[in-house]
Amino acid sequence: MAGLETFYDVMRRQGITRRSFIKYCSLTAAALGLGPEFVPQIASAMETKPRLPVLWLHGLECTCCSESFIRSAHPLVKDVVLSMISLDYDDTLMASAGHQAEAILDEVMEKYHGNYILAVEGNPPLNEDGMYCIVGGKPFVEQLKKVASGAKAIISWGSCASYGCVQAARPNPTQATPVHKVILDKPIIKVPGCPPIAEVMTGVITYMLTFDRLPELDRQGRPKMFYSQRIHDKCYRRPHFDAGQYVESFDDEGARKGYCLYKVGCKGPTTYNACSTVRWNDGVSFPIQSGHGCIGCSEDGFWDKGSWYARLQNVGGFGVEASADKVGMVAAGAVGAGLAVHAAISALSRARYKGDDDQ
Amino acid sequence: MVEQAKTRLVAGPFNRVEGDLEVRLDVVDGHVGRAWVNAPLFRGIERVLEGRTPMDALVIAPRICGICSVSQSHAAALALGGVMGMAPTHNGQVATNLIVATENLADHLTHFHLFFMPDFARPDYEGRRWYAQAHERFAALRGSAVRGILQTRALALHVMGILAGHWPHTLAIQPGGLSRGVEKQDCVRLSGILGGVRAALEETLFGARLEEVAALSGVEDLQRWAEGRRGSDFSLFLRIAQDLALQSSGRSYDRFLSFGAYPGFGSDPGQRHWRSGIFETGAVRTLNMDDVSEDHTFSHMADMGRPLPPFEGATEPHMRANTAYSWSKAPRMAGLACETGALARQLMAGQPLVRALVARDGGNVLSRVVARLVEVARLVPMMEQWVRALRPGEAWCHSHTGDIPDGRAIGMTEAARGALGHWLCVEKGLIARYQIVAPTTWNFSPRDAAGVEGPLEYALKGARVHEGEQTPLSVQHIVRSFDPCMACTVH
Repeated sequence: MAGLETFYDVMRRQGITRRSFIKYCSLTAAALGLGPEFVPQIASAMETKPRLPVLWLHGLECTCCSESFIRSAHPLVKDVVLSMISLDYDDTLMASAGHQAEAILDEVMEKYHGNYILAVEGNPPLNEDGMYCIVGGKPFVEQLKKVASGAKAIISWGSCASYGCVQAARPNPTQATPVHKVILDKPIIKVPGCPPIAEVMTGVITYMLTFDRLPELDRQGRPKMFYSQRIHDKCYRRPHFDAGQYVESFDDEGARKGYCLYKVGCKGPTTYNACSTVRWNDGVSFPIQSGHGCIGCSEDGFWDKGSWYARLQNVGGFGVEASADKVGMVAAGAVGAGLAVHAAISALSRARYKGDDDQ
Repeated sequence: MVEQAKTRLVAGPFNRVEGDLEVRLDVVDGHVGRAWVNAPLFRGIERVLEGRTPMDALVIAPRICGICSVSQSHAAALALGGVMGMAPTHNGQVATNLIVATENLADHLTHFHLFFMPDFARPDYEGRRWYAQAHERFAALRGSAVRGILQTRALALHVMGILAGHWPHTLAIQPGGLSRGVEKQDCVRLSGILGGVRAALEETLFGARLEEVAALSGVEDLQRWAEGRRGSDFSLFLRIAQDLALQSSGRSYDRFLSFGAYPGFGSDPGQRHWRSGIFETGAVRTLNMDDVSEDHTFSHMADMGRPLPPFEGATEPHMRANTAYSWSKAPRMAGLACETGALARQLMAGQPLVRALVARDGGNVLSRVVARLVEVARLVPMMEQWVRALRPGEAWCHSHTGDIPDGRAIGMTEAARGALGHWLCVEKGLIARYQIVAPTTWNFSPRDAAGVEGPLEYALKGARVHEGEQTPLSVQHIVRSFDPCMACTVH
């Protein structure tokens, strides 16, 4: 890795001032739930460590994860993270669209073999030998396996990569398959959600860039720092749930008073995600705040668990108080126990992300 | 005719378009002879919808696309409302328009700054008089315009946050209105946000008041205006367009389709602020939705024997390597291929500059981009009016109880990229059929049984291919001028 720039070098080259850099370190500490004493530690890590290569691939998906990502709250954090993961567009990716881009992918894989992070948005469809998703003339599943083979670890962005999501919903016409069922020999970090929250995405990447290791994962492979609590646990409408005050239909008396949405189908009590704390679009709101129940989009198989608009007659019927670990344990069977938590990752970088260029 | 120097190129995968796209080109004597447009991806969302509770379409259909999710959500709500015989409340309608407009605005800004303009900052154009400015403003990821516009876009999307909870994949739009009401303080915040968006656009994109741009009325008028606004990004584009003669690039059939944008409120909720119809040879025709059909001859779809109207259509993927070359179906209006998008919308809305440009040179790279920017300038003032039309404290959503009745309806709206329709059939309380025809399905359709090419395939004919170009620049300008969304195309 000799001769590689540090993160700090990269930031300075991107025009980020020292003052902004320190601010970025503070924001990062706050986003990761770390105290102010960690700020110098983060700063020191960024100043001394070579940057981490990230390759970003797209399978069967709708680009909502990328769309969410480029809209994260703090422009500074977004700029820094984007500039770090998309570096090689400045340095080396001078290729035009198309086959030249594929060649550069090969080159980066070879150069940083065993040291890069692979971020996957979407998933591979396996029916018809993978013909439902063709990238550069070949099935996406082939590209995925090839790039994964040299990766240090994999990030499964969103519910598509983590669980299959909408295209894997019954009857799953293309046999869309989550990444961990195709790649069996690499640590995989799942960041589910349709889409995931921007701050969660930047938080996960920043953590890995800063501390050179995977965040702590739960039994399903999700970072604990963002997925250890249910929407319900921190929902601002929770007091109305506890008081038995419910909305019965949109715009009824209860809706006007901001009552609990459980009876109009809210899945907050069974959904592990950070929406009710981090919120969306710069912390402006989240679905429950817009008067619509949570649909549970970060949970495995949420498409095939019955209608989202089904009225509940008797409330409190299901095991809403199950702990994260219990739910995790049940699901762990499918995931396999091979997740290398805290695996050390070394560094270097590159990203493919839609909206980036070439030339 | 002597066939000389005929080669075949496969251009793609394209970056800076939404989703995956591949274009095969026959090149004869340095020009594109024929083109085949391929969407190499299929997800099967229509199949997933079948057999489900109708209301669940509100959650599933938006997932077709992370870029136009609100438009998909709006079309689904309109289709359901059609079956239920329900129209939204006044507040629901106004707020829905605001939400849809926000998405269209954000998409237009993304397209111009992040997808389209960076092409002119490529080294291929070094030496042009405008190159230095184009490179400074629009070099991919580094350009000074990029950071600014991402911020403006994020600000605009706060409208979405306030009214609809989150984006992408908003849930708030319902057949009866919106799942959330508006309070007085929301209106104040919305006005503030739009004021910020206006200021940013007037400062850098236009260098002029939005009203001034919206009122541009003719080709000479535009030239005069651009001369006086040389610092603005719009003016920069016009200089580039003139130098590269973009008005003579990418002309298609000049048959423009719009489903009409932004349902009105007040006396006639059926009216749309920008009307629906087909614009061809200077005249407007009324839509007849019975004329819509989809042809599978060159799609990887089961052969249905004949083109079928969407109410009878089916989506059965079927690999047919001999003839088929795309996952996209070929939608036709009375057998004819149509172009759709902001250009079609502004033609139907009667915007004089856009009509003048099309009267002169038809639909092309220049007129498509100008229409998009003129639309931006018209949209923000409309949104400001809509905020004032909200009535805090009044009803926001009609409630509905019980099952959805059997029946069928079309949900028609305009996404940023053009006409979007959801054809919904409900039988025995469940979705029996759900067919989606998206804007880029129209624009990037494959050939049909009669051999008629899709609008992009036709528009690419004659595009200049320079020696050694694998993915010709001229082809890239034309492809991106349509602002394709491939995820929607094939769903």
